[in-house]
Amino acid sequence: MSNFMKLAFKNVFRNRRRTAITGLVLVFGAAALILAGGFIAFTFRGLSESTIHGQLGHIQLFNREFLQRQEDRPLELGIDSVDAMKRKIITMNHVRFSMARVEFMGLISNGDKSEAFLGRGVEPDKELKLADFALDVDTGKFLGENPDNAKENEVILASGLAKTMKAKLGDYLTLMTTTSKGALNAMDVKVVGVYSTGIPEYDERALMVDIHTAQQILNTKKVTKLVIVLDQTDQTERVAASLEAMFPNIKAKRWFDLATFYNAVVRLYNAIFGFLGVIIFVIVVLSSSNTMMMSIFERTKEIGTQLAVGTSRTRLLLNFLYEGLIIGVLGALLGLLIAYGLALVINKVRIMMPAPPGRTSGYPLLVDTVPVIFAGVFFLMSMTTVVSTLIPAFKASRLKIVDALGHI
Amino acid sequence: MTPLVRTQTITKTYSLGKTEVPALRGISLDIEQGEFTSISGPSGSGKTTLLNLLGLIDSPSSGTVILEGSQVKYNGLTKLHSIRLEKLGFIFQTFNLIPVLTAYENVEYPLLLAKKSSSERKTMVENVLREVKLWEFRKHKPNELSGGQRQRVAIARALVNRPRLILADEPTANIDSATALEILDLMHTLNEEERVTFLFSTHDPLVMQHARRVVKLHDGVIINGRQN
Repeated sequence: MSNFMKLAFKNVFRNRRRTAITGLVLVFGAAALILAGGFIAFTFRGLSESTIHGQLGHIQLFNREFLQRQEDRPLELGIDSVDAMKRKIITMNHVRFSMARVEFMGLISNGDKSEAFLGRGVEPDKELKLADFALDVDTGKFLGENPDNAKENEVILASGLAKTMKAKLGDYLTLMTTTSKGALNAMDVKVVGVYSTGIPEYDERALMVDIHTAQQILNTKKVTKLVIVLDQTDQTERVAASLEAMFPNIKAKRWFDLATFYNAVVRLYNAIFGFLGVIIFVIVVLSSSNTMMMSIFERTKEIGTQLAVGTSRTRLLLNFLYEGLIIGVLGALLGLLIAYGLALVINKVRIMMPAPPGRTSGYPLLVDTVPVIFAGVFFLMSMTTVVSTLIPAFKASRLKIVDALGHI
Repeated sequence: MTPLVRTQTITKTYSLGKTEVPALRGISLDIEQGEFTSISGPSGSGKTTLLNLLGLIDSPSSGTVILEGSQVKYNGLTKLHSIRLEKLGFIFQTFNLIPVLTAYENVEYPLLLAKKSSSERKTMVENVLREVKLWEFRKHKPNELSGGQRQRVAIARALVNRPRLILADEPTANIDSATALEILDLMHTLNEEERVTFLFSTHDPLVMQHARRVVKLHDGVIINGRQN
């Protein structure tokens, strides 16, 4: 350690109470930022996983043309030869499985009244594998869970639609839609379950059928998309790029490109976190700037002496900045330790948070301990005191020596 | 022979609001190498102002200061720190030691500024602390030393870089007469044995008695100079 750094250390601990007060501001600032950042990181992680496992998967493959223009008829721009594609895809690294989906719409009727629906044809066993924690069947069962009745065309209704149609388990409803050739088609389906998506507006219109049922009513072998599920979320980009190289007519949409809710939450939380960071930064700057100002004012005569005996103004400025840096580093380090301890306690207690907007269930308050956040906050807090020392230190270094020496 | 420091009709005027207060009114003075000179005069006569100008910690309103034959340029006082560091030493009335540093570290401080190596610093600090008879007190902080000891630390700090000129502003004003005598004897010894030039301001008759030359100031002008 340089001798001037040692001098700065001694000056920092010259008035311990004042240093402690500045340090405490830093500690709380650092801890607050780390906990807020850790909570947001947890939220992003939880939300991204629930988004992926709720319905999106990691990657969705579409016919390129499907994304460029409107279809004139259902599945006109769907994907052909799905089975061959799946066989290639399953051999790729990090791919757990792939599954096809058919998206369609039409009218659902109970004989007395009809409602518009948004239908999805799925591969039930794979949907269950994907939605291992997100799919919430309220009553009844999921599609295809009873092989004995597999010959019947089954439907599960979202809770709002089931309520509108006054549908009970075992009731038969009629789905009406336009086939891929443009003709009208209808099919009776048996209600085997009621589920919730967590999004009230979607629950008013959604239903699911087996993919073969959907293809039958639409009179096609095509599918709307192929959903790819990976073993690691951070491999999304790499696998998506490989898929696009493998299938030139296919566009691979990454989950984060499709997750509008997730992206809105990320933008909102980042704005909140940024705002919080600015507020804490300003508080710490003002507080420590005031302390440094007092400290420097008290040492005016000493500053005059140092300048008189040959200290350059730059050296003097640096000495004060060292003091700011020392307080910053020590305060930030303590803040990091306290934040880490608090994060462990919070994660153990598992406080429940209320349901976010547009969702029907709450989630536990957990704090991720993210090294990047720790490093960022450490750097920010260390620099905060250096920044707050700049103005008083600059003023001190510009003092007229005779005035400083005459200071009482 | 070129004097160590020469002032040519220097003036210094302070502004107090709209009032101009002249502190020095055209001082011309030569200080030769090896002098032991006192600047005396009543309060407000301009002693400290003259010392500040000779010590390059203030600039004159007019006139020139010539140090070792070179005219001092006052470019916002920014380049003068290295001259102060290498050629001048300061002793203050209130000692002005850095309170968080030990006696050793206070004396070492100018050597750190001068970027002396660790071994050089060690030798130079030890020598000078032994000269002022404070080696045993080297680990004491200023608040653990008596007034006389503090002033001796200040002398050691002023001396450690072996400057051409040591300026002392009322060096005995804050210490008792017995200690003042000790300090004067020490400065005298350093002057005689090592040819260190001392220039001090004082209105203490004891100090004036010790000075070989006394420059008397009154209302910012030299009223007489006397050789003891």
